[in-house]
Amino acid sequence: MKDIYISILIFGLMGFTFALLLAILSKKLKVEDDPQVEKILNALPGLNCGACGFSGCRPYAQSVVEKRELFSGCLPGGDDTNNQLSKILGISGNVVTHQKLIVCKCQAKSNEKKSSNTYFGPLTCKSAHLTGGPIDCSYGCLALGDCIKICPTNALEIKDNRIEVNNQKCINCGKCITICPRNLFELVPSKKDKMTHYIACNNKDNALSVKKVCLTGCIGCGICAKIPETPYFLKENLSYIDYTKVSSDEPLENGMNKCPTKCILKINV
Amino acid sequence: MIDLLLIFISTLLINNLVLSSFLGICPFLGVSGKIESAFGMGMAVTFVMTLATSIGWLIYHLILVKFGLLYLEYVVFILVIASLVQMVEMFIRKFSTNLYQSLGIFLPLITTNCAILGAALFMVSRNYNFLESVVFGFSGGLGFSLVLLIMAGIREELIYADIPKAFKGASLTLITAGLLALIFMGFSGLISA
Repeated sequence: MKDIYISILIFGLMGFTFALLLAILSKKLKVEDDPQVEKILNALPGLNCGACGFSGCRPYAQSVVEKRELFSGCLPGGDDTNNQLSKILGISGNVVTHQKLIVCKCQAKSNEKKSSNTYFGPLTCKSAHLTGGPIDCSYGCLALGDCIKICPTNALEIKDNRIEVNNQKCINCGKCITICPRNLFELVPSKKDKMTHYIACNNKDNALSVKKVCLTGCIGCGICAKIPETPYFLKENLSYIDYTKVSSDEPLENGMNKCPTKCILKINV
Repeated sequence: MIDLLLIFISTLLINNLVLSSFLGICPFLGVSGKIESAFGMGMAVTFVMTLATSIGWLIYHLILVKFGLLYLEYVVFILVIASLVQMVEMFIRKFSTNLYQSLGIFLPLITTNCAILGAALFMVSRNYNFLESVVFGFSGGLGFSLVLLIMAGIREELIYADIPKAFKGASLTLITAGLLALIFMGFSGLISA
């Protein structure tokens, strides 16, 4: 009988001590949640996509409250959400949010991408990229759809052996940017009417090598870079657009029309 | 000193908690998909196991042995580990946001991790003194992290393989775990008694 008393007493005491300790500690070590964080969290779309540069909506909301600025803003939410956020924080004035569009930097169709081999491996871009995959171009889109599988809103689809982005559905989460083994996706800034130009090629080889593997690849001729007031520039045999220098559409359109391989494209949502 | 080193090596490789005692299999299979999360889980377990064995030793020898309540060891250890994990979580959350973000999600999982309870019970049944218990807990945790990281590395590479349909998913993971356990049996001749 004595054993039972002792064990109940000791165990009860121990449990009570731990409970007391936990209770005291939970009071003492309480991390105050700012009520604004909850408000901001409710205003955010809650996709945890990470497009803002933070690991999710909660870390973003916390930093927003702490630093009292919106950083790059919430991309999926767009202007509405960002205005709401600045209202909650009481930051007056306009928050500069850039609408961004995702583009796939290889838009060669199936008859334009040359293929001299047949690929038998697992049908994922990740493994096909190791061996070169079904196409000759070592920079181009393998079109096996790793990005399609990861896309949370089904905004991507394969059409004519290339990836087509549905910018209406796209929420700019950037998951395709990280998954693509050939780094073909890029977020490019666009204007209010959701229109932008981009270089639909990622091949950094010289003109001869590009011509061997693709009909519409950028050959680095530099015609687009020679237009007056051009935002285009050449680097490693590939043309790029410096979006900070874009002032009007005219030089962009000009470059697009003059491109001999037609690898400068325009999205117009 | 030699004793401590022997305990360290033997818990790390030879009597590895996961692969020879088969404790902590749940996180071993569940959190070994990515190296990043495996590392987080491993570090969290190492931390908690070291704490649990040292606090557990103190409670066992200063309270349980004194009052002759050895039959309560299981319940007491469960109590100690559960509340310890809660306290550690609170401390980390308060004092290190970065550490909380990397370990935070794994800590609640550890409350019910049998490897921790196993380590505490082994420590008692093998009659370790305090220092030995601490080294045992630490190396047990490290051994767990090591196996978890190896498993995660293998599973990350297996994505590239063309696996027959019947072996996809859990079955291949279990086969890999079995092969890993066989490989770790090779360490058994490392220290001769």
